[in-house]
Amino acid sequence: MSDTKTRQAAQVELPFQIFAQPSEKLPPCQARCPNSGDIRGWLGIIAQREKNGLSFDEACDKAWQRLVEFNPMPATIGRICPHPCEDLCTRREKDGAVSVNAMERFLGDWGLARGLELPQAPKERYRESIGVIGSGPASLSFAYQMARRGYDVTLYDKDDRPGGMLRHAIPDFRLPREILDAEVGRILGLTKSLVRNVDVGKDLSLDQLRTDHDLIFLGLGAQAARRLHIPGENGPGVVSGIDYLRQRKEGRESACGSRVLVIGGGNTAIDAARSVRREGASVTLVYRRSDSEMPAAAHEIEDARKEGIEFRYLSAPTRIIRDGDRVRQVEIQGMRLAEPDASGRRRPEPVPGKLEILAADSVIVAVSQAPGWHDAGSVLHADEWLRAEDDGRLEEDLLAGGDDLGPGIASRAIAQGRRAAESAHAQLRGLERPRSKPARPEISRGSVRIDFYAERQRSPASRLPEGEWLSRPNTEIDATLGDRQASEEAARCMSCGLCFDCQLCFMYCNAGGFTRLEETSPGQYFAMALDLCEGCGKCIELCPCGYLEAREDAR
Amino acid sequence: MTLGDGARIAVIGAGPAGSMFSYFFLSMAETIGLDVAIDIFEPRRFCHRGPAGCNHCGGIVSESLVQRLATEGIRLPDCVVQRGIESYTLHMDVGDVEIATPLMEKRIAAIYRGIGPRSSEPLETHSFDGYLLDLATQKGARVIPRLVTGLRREEDSMRVQCADQFTDSYELAVVATGVNSRLTEMLERESGEFARPDRTKTFICEFHLGRKVIRETFGPSMHVFLLDIPRLEFAALIPKGDYVTLCLLGDDIDEALIDKFFSAREVRERFPDGVIPGHVCHCYPRINIRSASPVCGDRLVFIGDSGTTRLFKDGIGAAYRTSKAAAKTAIFHGVSAEDFGNHYAPLCRRINNDNRVGKLVFRFATLVQKARFARRGILAMTAHEQRQTDSPRRMSGVLWDLFSGSASYTDVFLRTLHPAYLGALLWNLVAANLPGSPSGNGRAEKGGHGHVRH
Repeated sequence: MSDTKTRQAAQVELPFQIFAQPSEKLPPCQARCPNSGDIRGWLGIIAQREKNGLSFDEACDKAWQRLVEFNPMPATIGRICPHPCEDLCTRREKDGAVSVNAMERFLGDWGLARGLELPQAPKERYRESIGVIGSGPASLSFAYQMARRGYDVTLYDKDDRPGGMLRHAIPDFRLPREILDAEVGRILGLTKSLVRNVDVGKDLSLDQLRTDHDLIFLGLGAQAARRLHIPGENGPGVVSGIDYLRQRKEGRESACGSRVLVIGGGNTAIDAARSVRREGASVTLVYRRSDSEMPAAAHEIEDARKEGIEFRYLSAPTRIIRDGDRVRQVEIQGMRLAEPDASGRRRPEPVPGKLEILAADSVIVAVSQAPGWHDAGSVLHADEWLRAEDDGRLEEDLLAGGDDLGPGIASRAIAQGRRAAESAHAQLRGLERPRSKPARPEISRGSVRIDFYAERQRSPASRLPEGEWLSRPNTEIDATLGDRQASEEAARCMSCGLCFDCQLCFMYCNAGGFTRLEETSPGQYFAMALDLCEGCGKCIELCPCGYLEAREDAR
Repeated sequence: MTLGDGARIAVIGAGPAGSMFSYFFLSMAETIGLDVAIDIFEPRRFCHRGPAGCNHCGGIVSESLVQRLATEGIRLPDCVVQRGIESYTLHMDVGDVEIATPLMEKRIAAIYRGIGPRSSEPLETHSFDGYLLDLATQKGARVIPRLVTGLRREEDSMRVQCADQFTDSYELAVVATGVNSRLTEMLERESGEFARPDRTKTFICEFHLGRKVIRETFGPSMHVFLLDIPRLEFAALIPKGDYVTLCLLGDDIDEALIDKFFSAREVRERFPDGVIPGHVCHCYPRINIRSASPVCGDRLVFIGDSGTTRLFKDGIGAAYRTSKAAAKTAIFHGVSAEDFGNHYAPLCRRINNDNRVGKLVFRFATLVQKARFARRGILAMTAHEQRQTDSPRRMSGVLWDLFSGSASYTDVFLRTLHPAYLGALLWNLVAANLPGSPSGNGRAEKGGHGHVRH
């Protein structure tokens, strides 16, 4: 812009000059992912591959690389995550949320099939040695993030086999063990060693580990089950959800009998109910609130229902009635919902006089987990959750993540492991400790122009025929998306808040203020020349994905 | 190279040209029993308020065009017409004069190309462009909401390429993108044998004043300004419902010119309390000031603004004429460069020739703008005519047709050569500039001695 023009421009008053700037807001999927996964980013690599000169294979490889930056086990998480990312996907109100979880799984399987290797840092190895206690998702995530940065990592697990709850509590029909083995193995391949069958506080003291290593990460999980504290609970025929699932995973017969009551409404309760149903039992799930408060993933509940599991809502067990040692019946108290409690869910309260007796041969109690570690001094106290800072820090050389900070989904555990590693690395290298940044604001619903996008239905994964679900109890129900389905599903991403090269701004800017870049990638397609801008704001209003937004200093 | 049953046509752009082409083409095909299909590529939505759903223009449809469209079966419903304009008010420094419609039924319509200015209240109005597009889809055209980024000639077809990688081939590609999209520029660069239209920058903005204020201050009248501002050829305020549209045409309208315009007393006086309010929406649309060349090729034709249009005025009328001629050619003659050359290009040449005359007329108007004595003469003559009811209104007619685009520039020009017109003008020039003479029904000049400057 010439000086003359600038001077001229300064004299006039055009009150509503609207200048555009790229949005830095979070898409709803990323805002809701506990691990802040760059979902839009890796979907965009596949959806926009042709614009950026990539073949499908190249794009999937690259998308996988982007995905494993934050999540080293996408084939696993892609199968078991309740995917809160899909809950408020902008596409939901048009023709259904993008199947993010199925896409993650697709890429996870893609990485395994292609033998893709996890990214690993540089030549440089650091001298510090890192100890990780536990080998569940938090520990594996931490170990991966440290190992790839160049640290020697040793993991300790009280079990023979790594994976924590992923291995012990997720049934085979949801997560085949080969998948878990492959993804865990790939992470362990980056570490120095895994020490098996070591129970910290019993076989080895925490103090000893602190002398052996420069830094310790505690990923102990929540191995103990909460109890109901009702009469008749102690004795054979009553088992916790995780103990039951563990037995099943180890291939042991459970001897639950033909009528089983499962108590609880979380994913463990559903997994236990579906597993015991596969043993041939008739199963009733008893939950004290109503279906809308149920924390289990909706699609799991639906599948459980298809398998013939009966659901009894607003029901709480008050007594387990035994005949000698054997469980015979369970007394159920009818409940109603009162005011919301601290969790925001409506608190159940008993309806006086509404009692019922249900026949049962055994009861599986899956009402929540508890700390399961020994009193080991310093930070470890039996029956108390660990309390850490946002980055997982407990003490100078001690960090924690995963269910030992309180129960949560696997994706949250992976996030905690990653954040702890970022903090640990900064500390060890004398870098500035990553502060818990104020979260970027989420893009507002209205700034994505839903009607711009063509209708595209979800590509459903093929499923095992319903009739075979129970007869093939260890076979996975859902299949992974095929290449074509994955390509179509990626194309459904609206790329909320990130330029995907629709070219409307470029094409319709009256001033020709947008120039195409030589090197393009998702989000990087055009340069904006603000000195040409005429302030009409058309580009912002046309931008379908909300990438261009009005600058606040607009006059 | 003719279209047979099953032929598929791509129309790029759903402005008036694209929609009317589709409407005419499908109607004609229906008449002769030809089974053809049209895909209209348009990624924008005319149901969006503000610039995103707007096709930037002053929004004036002359009554002659309204009548023409009615005979084609396109009857503009009341919900599309923002306000029937019944007169023009001409504002000059020497005074104002209101020019009533030459014949009582010869009104003009004010419309919104989109559905209204940014953040306007949803009214029971309909977008003009949206209405025409609906007509086209009712005839069977299919709207493809994709942005076309390229056209490639193939052996027996034209291949359309879109921003989202979609591609399809058609037996005829009709470009109706106007000059505010970059497509013609991209086609020029790619083909090397096509020159896109020359463009200049104009300015449009919307003021929100409310229906009541507008009725009181503007009335059902379009306010035209003849001011001595260099590079400004035409300035008008057009009332539309709760809004007034300002339209500045000329040679590369920029902020300095707009500033000068807003500073003019004649403009400020139009607004309540003499204060120009903030506008809610503005843009600098480009207009076609010289035809594309050529306007057609094998299986390719440029209609509306992306081909040629009338200078400054009646763009929708030009879209109507070019789209109909192109449709007629494609249906009854063929789609080769030669067919369009013989049956479509002559119309474009006629428009271009008339625009040459138009340039002359506007040059003359510029002279008037510069010369105060001439402004007085015109004001006096027009005002006199408006007071008379039985004598011919030569000046009023010339101005009306010039402002509304109702007649060709050649026609306007020839009328100014009429001895009666010239005589009357001469008389008024002298009379209006004599000391103590009344100057129209506008403000009287204080002690005004006119200075004759040549």
